[in-house]
Amino acid sequence: MHMANYIAKLGQQIKLRQRVVATAITYMRRVYTSKGMTEYEPRLVSPACLYLASKAEESTVQARFLVFCIKKICPDDKFRYEIKDILEMEMKILEAVNYYLVVFHPYRSLTQLLQDAGMSDRELTQFTWGLVNDTYKTDLLLMHPPHLIALACIYITSAYKEKDTIAWFEELQVDMNVVKNISMEILDFYDSLKTNLEEKINMALCKLPLKQ
Amino acid sequence: MSNRGPGMIGGSHGSGNSNSGGNKPEWLQQYDLIGKIGEGTYGVVFLARIKSPGSNRGKSIAIKKFKQSKDGDGVSPTAIREIMLLREISHENVVKLVNVHINHNDMSLYLAFDYAEHDLYEIIRHHRDKVNQPINQYTVKSLLWQLLNGLNYLHSNWIIHRDLKPSNILVMGEGEEQGVVKIGDFGLARIYQAPLKPLCDNGVVVTIWYRAPELLLGAKHYTSAVDMWAVGCIFAELLTLKPLFQGAEVKATPNPFQLDQLDKIFKVLGHPTQEKWPTLVNLPHWQSDLQNIQGHKYDNPGLYSVVHLSPKTPAYDLLSKMLEYDPRKRITAAQALEHEYFKTEPLPGRNAFVPSRPEEKVVNYPTRPVDTTTDFEGTTSIQPSQPVSSGNAVSGNMHVVPNRATGATGCYCSGPSTATAEEKGPPWNGNAWIPSTAEVKTVLRSQLVAGTLKSYISREDSDKRREIPRKREGENRLSIAPIIDGSIMHWIPLISNNEA
Repeated sequence: MHMANYIAKLGQQIKLRQRVVATAITYMRRVYTSKGMTEYEPRLVSPACLYLASKAEESTVQARFLVFCIKKICPDDKFRYEIKDILEMEMKILEAVNYYLVVFHPYRSLTQLLQDAGMSDRELTQFTWGLVNDTYKTDLLLMHPPHLIALACIYITSAYKEKDTIAWFEELQVDMNVVKNISMEILDFYDSLKTNLEEKINMALCKLPLKQ
Repeated sequence: MSNRGPGMIGGSHGSGNSNSGGNKPEWLQQYDLIGKIGEGTYGVVFLARIKSPGSNRGKSIAIKKFKQSKDGDGVSPTAIREIMLLREISHENVVKLVNVHINHNDMSLYLAFDYAEHDLYEIIRHHRDKVNQPINQYTVKSLLWQLLNGLNYLHSNWIIHRDLKPSNILVMGEGEEQGVVKIGDFGLARIYQAPLKPLCDNGVVVTIWYRAPELLLGAKHYTSAVDMWAVGCIFAELLTLKPLFQGAEVKATPNPFQLDQLDKIFKVLGHPTQEKWPTLVNLPHWQSDLQNIQGHKYDNPGLYSVVHLSPKTPAYDLLSKMLEYDPRKRITAAQALEHEYFKTEPLPGRNAFVPSRPEEKVVNYPTRPVDTTTDFEGTTSIQPSQPVSSGNAVSGNMHVVPNRATGATGCYCSGPSTATAEEKGPPWNGNAWIPSTAEVKTVLRSQLVAGTLKSYISREDSDKRREIPRKREGENRLSIAPIIDGSIMHWIPLISNNEA
């Protein structure tokens, strides 16, 4: 989650579209399903994922500019990598994700679904969109198809805002149990935030052996 | 594309960190390298055979090696795009990506494909220069049908190829798949369902002879219909053995106006009119270059005389529907497959080379020339004796001034649901306890009371900065995705510093 925030921060600095960031986060999560944190240094993997995602999503960023942005937002030496390192890691990431690069995101189905459910007013869209954004801080995107994540977020919104969408959900040909489970996991995630994680993660990161 | 000396390629990789003693990397040892078969701006293509024992032994593989881009920006976006698409698709009439290899030592990337002995460029050339007679009806029909079949698959998966031309349409040689068409070279292909950028940003698409009129007139938005125009041109070329519209290319950046190419089209098909093509007036070049375009008058639209077909034949009917000016009226791949032409004798078949009627002569096409003097590293001192002609060169990537998308076209809006098994994560083990709707609501309410979500409400109105950009009236569909922001976590003070 911490590294997802880092990618998001970098993406913001470079002014990349949300989809590029989301793709980068997905790559990173996929990488760490097969590699360990000590094997591939997360502080290098994150920008390299963003770099690869920018190419895959047709918004290529210059490696030089990326390195420049890293320096700008993370003056810490532990985050400092050169262009060469990023290019090398890009290759390793390609291998680690086994060259599967197409990623679908809940966002597109979300807009369509919200419209269909008659929930497309500004407030509800905004709330649900926020929920979807937060799911990128969890592992859900590795486990569930994007349209179900979108549905779960709509489900939470409708339960929370007391919108009656039960009939609409019933008409959809989806397994509501899965949707409910995803919803519960998202809620659990918010629960777990009650403990202050940020510090813990920073401490854990410092313990990682440095490969330099 | 000129044939560069192999030494140049060797030079770019010969730097000190290559494997000492010429030891091959492990992945390379599974192949026997035969030689070089093609070259373009993207890199070099090699022919190799699989060494490993088993059913695949001796199978021919084409290995495409990408050049390291000079500006130090890693794997070329072209390669990324090609890998990305080919990894996901699988169809009998689309070239198959067998493997991807990376050489970490010199940071080079290799794509391994099933090898196809022939391509339409060579087949057409062989008939024109050696056989001196047209390709037989059965072969033309089978090639076209399979090409459309592969294209229909791509289009239904929201992929536009954008670079269809005879040299990119491969045909399998001897073996189990003899005479099967494979669409190749996806370096320019892209998914067009929800593009982040207007399609024209990628610059050059489709070799000029096969470029659709809407592209020539500067259309910002285009559809899979551009591929169908190219198929029409290829169809005509299969019939006559000559490119249908052989315009002289204007070479300049960015993306110059190709008047001569349009002129060649108008000469055969006549000028497009606004009645036939209502959106014509919106195309940039139609407005700005009106006088140039209409400078010549051609009264006699004579497509049938150019392709030597009677206007009443199904073949002519199909061709004219592919070469329809208005992209929205142009026939689609799916419709074309259902066309009368494919239902009349001779019926199309899987092996395009072996005619249905035994009395017809089978044409033996020459095999691809292989330059056996070059190895994977490109290290060789001998110039190839003959230019390796495969015409496979991808036209160089020109830079195009980015254009802001204007005018929404309805074509990206609805799509099939994204319900796919894209996420290749571990299988999910369901929770034994399934909450009911009421239970979820209870949980939600208890969270609300606990304050997890409550804070959102009170801050929502004041926090205008977190607004999600909404689609404005008339704004392009493409720009819906907001920039990174809008996490509701930011509204929850729990993880912010006030906690501490």
